[in-house]
Amino acid sequence: MAEPTVTTTKSKQAKPRRISLADVPWWVVIVVLVGIYLAYAMLSNEKYIDAFTFILPGVKITLQVTFLAYALALVIGLIAGLMRVSKNPVLYAISTLYVEIIRGLPMLVILLYAGYVISPAIRDATNRTITFSDLQEGIIGLAIGYGAYLAEVYRSGIESIHRGQMEAARSLGMTYMQAMRHVILPQAIRRILPPLGNDFIAMLKDSSLVALLALPDLLQMGRLYVSRTFRAFEGYNSVALLYLVLTLCLSSLVRLIERRWSID
Amino acid sequence: MIEKKKQLGDKIIEIYDLHKHFGHVEAVNGVTMHVNRGEVVVIIGPSGSGKSTLLRCINHLETPTSGKIIVDGIDATAKGADINALRAEIGIVFQLFNLFPHLTALENITLAQRVVRKRSHKEAERIAHEELVKVGIPEKADSYPDKLSGGQQQRVAIARALAMQPKIMLFDEPTSALDPEMIKEVLDVMLELADEGMTMVVVSHEMGFAKAAADRMIFLDEGVIVEDTTPEGLFTAPKHERTKLFLSKILH
Repeated sequence: MAEPTVTTTKSKQAKPRRISLADVPWWVVIVVLVGIYLAYAMLSNEKYIDAFTFILPGVKITLQVTFLAYALALVIGLIAGLMRVSKNPVLYAISTLYVEIIRGLPMLVILLYAGYVISPAIRDATNRTITFSDLQEGIIGLAIGYGAYLAEVYRSGIESIHRGQMEAARSLGMTYMQAMRHVILPQAIRRILPPLGNDFIAMLKDSSLVALLALPDLLQMGRLYVSRTFRAFEGYNSVALLYLVLTLCLSSLVRLIERRWSID
Repeated sequence: MIEKKKQLGDKIIEIYDLHKHFGHVEAVNGVTMHVNRGEVVVIIGPSGSGKSTLLRCINHLETPTSGKIIVDGIDATAKGADINALRAEIGIVFQLFNLFPHLTALENITLAQRVVRKRSHKEAERIAHEELVKVGIPEKADSYPDKLSGGQQQRVAIARALAMQPKIMLFDEPTSALDPEMIKEVLDVMLELADEGMTMVVVSHEMGFAKAAADRMIFLDEGVIVEDTTPEGLFTAPKHERTKLFLSKILH
C-alpha cells in the first residue's frame, strides 16, 4: 500500500533537449522485451493459449472492482478526511476511530468481515430485504478499507494549505464549507495527486483479495485454472503477466492525469 | 498633505472592554474604542502589542475572549450572530496577500462575489474589471498570482476585498512584506480609497500614509491603548513616555 511514489513529472523541462543514454527509460524497454517474449511464447504454446483464454474474463471483474471500489473510497476518504480536520469533537472522534480501526486490520480480514460477517448480519437483520451480492461485498469492503488510508491523504493535503487561505476565504464572507470547496480542496487535491495515484495502483493489486469471496476475478480464475489442470506454471504466469499489464497501463494513466493537473 | 474637511458620520465600529488571550498571553487587554463612518484610523505599536489581534477581532478571525464588538449596529459577539454576513461587509487586506494561487487575478476577485453575494458570472466579472482598473492593473486580469509582483498581488487583494463593496476596510500591515519600491503603489491605492471616504482601520508603520490620510492615530502597547489622538497630536506632542520612545525608534 505504501510503495514509493511514482512522480517524476515536471523535473526535466528547463534543460535543452539532448537525449543521453541515461534518459532512456530502460525499465520500459526491458518490460516491453520480456512482454514480447512472453506473448510469443504464449501464442506459440497451446497450454498458454488455453490458460490465457480461461483467465482473461477475470480482467473485467478485476477492473470493475478496482474502479468502483476506488471511486467509493475517494468519497468515503473525503468525508472522513474532512471530519478529521473538523473542530467538532464528535465528528473528529468518529473519523479517528474509523481510521485507526481500519488501518489496524489487514485488508484481507476487512474483506472477510464484509463478506461473511457484516453482509449476513445486515441480511438477517432486515429480513432479507437488503442483501449484497459477492461483487458488492467485495467493492464495499475494499472501499471501506482504502477509505481510511485516503482519509489520511486528504487530511495531510488539507493541512498542507497555508491557513491564510482559509482566513482570506472566510473574511470574504464564505462559510467553512464554501471555503473548503472553492479554495482549500482544489489546492489540496492537486498536492495529493501522487499519493492518490499510488493508492489507486495499490488498490488494483489488493483487488486480488476478493478472490477469497469467490468472485471470479483475475486471481480467482487463475486459481480455478490451476486446480482444474494442475498447470500452475502456465496459470500463474498468465495471472502475473495480466496484472503487470494492468498496473503498467494504470500507472501511465495516473502520470498523464498528474501532468494535466499539476499546478503550473 | 490632503486637507481634512470631511464630515465623519456615526459610529460604525464600537469596541467595549475587549480582551483576547492566547493561553497565558494577553494579546488584547481591555480595549475600548470606536471608529466613525468614513474615518481613517491608523494603529501603531511595537511588535507583539496586539495591533493585529485587535484588527482580526473586528471581523472575527480571532474570537474575543471577552468584551463586545458592535459593527454597524450589529453585535457580532452576541450568540447566534451571522458572522459570515458580517464578514462580507468588512474587507481585510493581509500582510502576506493570501491570494488564491489556483485562480487568476480575475477569478480571485469574482469567487466570493459569486459564492457569497450570489452575483452572476457576468456581473462579477464586470465589477472585478472595474476594481482592477481602480488599483491600476487591468492588464493583469488573467495572470495567476505567482506571475505577479508583491505590489501587484497586494493590489489584487485590495480589489478582491473592494469587489464585495464592504462598508469597512481593514489593513493588517499591508506593506510590510513588500520590497521598498512597491510600497508606494499600494499606499497610493489606499490613499485614494481614504479620499473616497472609505472607513479604514490600518495597522501600519508607514508614517507618510498616516500623516497624509489618518484622521486618528492609536498607539497600542501590551494590549492596551496608550494614546488615541490626531496625527498632529501624536507626532508633535505625544503625551506618554512610551509613545515618545516608540516614535523615536521608528521616525528617523
